[in-house]
Amino acid sequence: MAEYTAKKLVQMLITVLGVITLVFFTLRLIPGDAASAMAGDTLSGEALQALREQMGLDEPLVNQYLGFLRDLVTVDLGETITTRIPIAELLLRALPITLSIALATIVLSILISIPLGTLAAFMAHKGRNWLDNGLTGAAMIIDLMPSFWMALVLLLIFSLGLGWFPASGQLNWSDPWALVLRLALPVIVLSLSQVATLARITRTAVLEVLNEDYVRTARSMGWSELRVLFRHALKNAALPIATVVGLSFGNLLGGTVIVEFIFTIPGVGNLLISGINSRDYQLVQTLIVFYALLFVVINFATDLIYKTLDPRVQF
Amino acid sequence: MNYQAPVKTTLLEVRDLRTQFQTASGTVKAVDGVSFTIERGERLAVVGESGSGKSAMAMSILRLLTHPGRVVGGEILLDGRDISRLSEGQLNTVRGRLVGTVFQDPMSSLDPVMRISRQMIEPIMRNLRLNRDQARAEAIKWLDKVGIPEPERRIEAYPFEMSGGMRQRVMIAMALASRPQLVIADEPTTALDVTIQAQIVEVLKTLTAEAGSAMMFITHDLGLVARFAHKVAVMYAGRIVEFGRVEDIFANPAHPYTQSLLGTIPSTTMLKSERLPQISGLPPDMRHEITGCAFKDRCAAAHDRCLAEAPRLTDRGHEHTAACWTPHGLEQALATGQQHATRLNKPFEPDGSVVVELNALRKQFATSRKMVVRAVNGVNLRVHKGETLGIVGESGCGKSTVARMLLGLERPTSGDIFIAGLAQMVFQDPAASFNPKMTIGDIVAEPLVVKSRGSKAERLDTVKRLISQVGLDPAFVERYPHQLSGGQRQRVAVARALALNPSVVVADEPTSALDVSVRAQIINLLVDLKEELGISFVFISHDLLTVRYISDRIAVMYLGEVVEYGAAEEVFADPRHPYTRALIDAVPVPDPVVESRRAATPLQGELPSPLNLPKGCAFASRCPMATDRCRAEKPALPDHDLSRQVACHYAH
Repeated sequence: MAEYTAKKLVQMLITVLGVITLVFFTLRLIPGDAASAMAGDTLSGEALQALREQMGLDEPLVNQYLGFLRDLVTVDLGETITTRIPIAELLLRALPITLSIALATIVLSILISIPLGTLAAFMAHKGRNWLDNGLTGAAMIIDLMPSFWMALVLLLIFSLGLGWFPASGQLNWSDPWALVLRLALPVIVLSLSQVATLARITRTAVLEVLNEDYVRTARSMGWSELRVLFRHALKNAALPIATVVGLSFGNLLGGTVIVEFIFTIPGVGNLLISGINSRDYQLVQTLIVFYALLFVVINFATDLIYKTLDPRVQF
Repeated sequence: MNYQAPVKTTLLEVRDLRTQFQTASGTVKAVDGVSFTIERGERLAVVGESGSGKSAMAMSILRLLTHPGRVVGGEILLDGRDISRLSEGQLNTVRGRLVGTVFQDPMSSLDPVMRISRQMIEPIMRNLRLNRDQARAEAIKWLDKVGIPEPERRIEAYPFEMSGGMRQRVMIAMALASRPQLVIADEPTTALDVTIQAQIVEVLKTLTAEAGSAMMFITHDLGLVARFAHKVAVMYAGRIVEFGRVEDIFANPAHPYTQSLLGTIPSTTMLKSERLPQISGLPPDMRHEITGCAFKDRCAAAHDRCLAEAPRLTDRGHEHTAACWTPHGLEQALATGQQHATRLNKPFEPDGSVVVELNALRKQFATSRKMVVRAVNGVNLRVHKGETLGIVGESGCGKSTVARMLLGLERPTSGDIFIAGLAQMVFQDPAASFNPKMTIGDIVAEPLVVKSRGSKAERLDTVKRLISQVGLDPAFVERYPHQLSGGQRQRVAVARALALNPSVVVADEPTSALDVSVRAQIINLLVDLKEELGISFVFISHDLLTVRYISDRIAVMYLGEVVEYGAAEEVFADPRHPYTRALIDAVPVPDPVVESRRAATPLQGELPSPLNLPKGCAFASRCPMATDRCRAEKPALPDHDLSRQVACHYAH
């Protein structure tokens, strides 16, 4: 296990370095440079040159790259161009909000989709297909609706129409109930598509395992249906499910950007959008690296979970 | 086998069991009114080919069938209690406790993500009311009994860390540890090598006898039946067609199906000039209602009554029953000689020309840990024109690698391969080797298309000729693989192999995926083709009786080397290498009298890892007569031209 973890850790570091390099050089490929793009037509030649110097753009590319790396390692993320607020501070303020939404979404969708998918598989295995068919149909409908559209519909009905959930306003960490109400709709929007994917994967994985010989062996040993389902079927089906949960986290990160924007939630997603709008390269660059890091860490965790679930996994 | 049950009390009585599968294309009556009894401590073999309902019947007893299978009628009395009426919860006190089960495929029957300890200990705790430590000790004791080395350590292994034979031992230990009154074993050795099969059968036989457990043993291998069973139930199309004591069934089979089945197995003494008796046709399609006797279409003794009315089991004396309207089944038909046709052709005479020659052939595979597997380790072999060379050995001996190199699918690490002409292949599983979207015509024509032989019309003519040559209707060109039976598909595979007029056809286990009744048809076909076309065959199989029957010469392989080579009959009549002798001894012979006289000392151990080949004789670790010389000095196979070669220091 230690050897496996170390190997995965090295793989993770290589990936992170690759992402950082890619982000850095991609942004440098843009015609002109960050300073002129940022300034648009507003600055004269000299002022632009001053901005370049201030951003360090006059230095050789290699130095810029190394400087970027050094800043990341020492968590010296710089300031926003327009408001001069330290990026680290902004990120620290936005991060708990986004993570809360993401975590709540994952927990909620796992709690709904795994029992639902398992039940559908169990019933289909016994020849009763109505839940299975209903699930497939519902999942397809959810997949067909883009999440921004769904967010707007829910916002119209439940916030603006029925007034059940606040559509805007400050996030108040000292009032948990208000916080739950404020974040409920975004989490539901994100969960819907997660549930659609996860429930189907669970259903397929469990149904496949239920037909395995070792499940029959367990039944022949006199274990009850429930014990067979939980001890053997779900444990084996957990492998593909864990993989998909890990991968769908990437989609989820993308999704938070959209719902934060629509529900005006001051999370990392909105920070990113404001960075793009104000052409704040430093901010955008940092946030993209941050998203990539998050994604890689989740994948690393998935790999570790995978290894504990399946002793056969080598590397 | 003078079996006398200590006290004759019935353990299991099955009455009029009916099991059906509701499928989209109709109701399959998989088990259609089966009744039988098993006495305490008795071993009943249930014999039949795939689709006969033998597994469905066995699974019905513990209600282990999955949707769409369902027991629709009958009574199952275990110790006088009807377990077919029990609720799932009540039945769970029977499953694993009163009735243990061993399944066919040990590779998939154990939970892959659970240690053996967890899978074994908890049932023992529940069934024998022991605490965890006691149950653990009990589990280790049983692992030891079934022959798992270092059981204290191995109990913490995961299934994937064990070989197939070892996993099957674990399954047996799991089934027996709760001291069941009955053990149901569904083809428990089918997936294993013949040497391992012999070990497993011995373990099952000894341990159930020791515990006084009765056993129901489902198999298609009549040799195993003779070795193992007290009683035999022969199933065909969902019904028992014959039932009786093993001696009676083998000596005086009364049902034409049993009679034919016994005839289709090549015996150890059968002459090659004798044609293997075969059962023509296929088992009935179970989705349709069968009127009359289900075997009528394949029976030489069928008459009007058989077409109209299904026969019931009637008494033939000595607890022997059979379901046939004709008193002695095929006996009369057999006597008139139409079944035992003798081949007209001369036995094989070499004209000296060599078709295949392998010189010092080696193949090494580098594994991930920078270690080298010597799969083939210096093989010299020759195949002459019109000759069949049989290659036998346990899995991992390198026989399939030799075949792959012969066909150019694998490059030898060193050594030469000479082939005069072309080599073609027939695979084990024809269903898996065909593209399901291609018609039979396209499949057979494929080699011709690849080599751009002839116009489209010419190719179609060739394909039709080939298809009729292998005994199929040329109209089959329009069909798809899934519309054909396993035997028909294997005929198509043979036709495809013949398309380019090969000088040698390599057949890797061509009959092992087929049912016994169909197997003889394919073997006869191969022999006919050899004699008609003068093609040479390399026949690779673990079925030693078939290899003996079909081959002119035999090469016995062990750990990548040929250890014995010679004329097929001679090698069988007088095996000189201890490994050859052990292999032949492990083969169950379909004759209970012979089997009861045989000493039960199967070859010990399993094939060692080809990673670290020993310095001396590769077989020394398992050889009953190995000496220090064997461990130090490698015996060489003598010069190439001898008609009989043995790589053993002590061969006589």
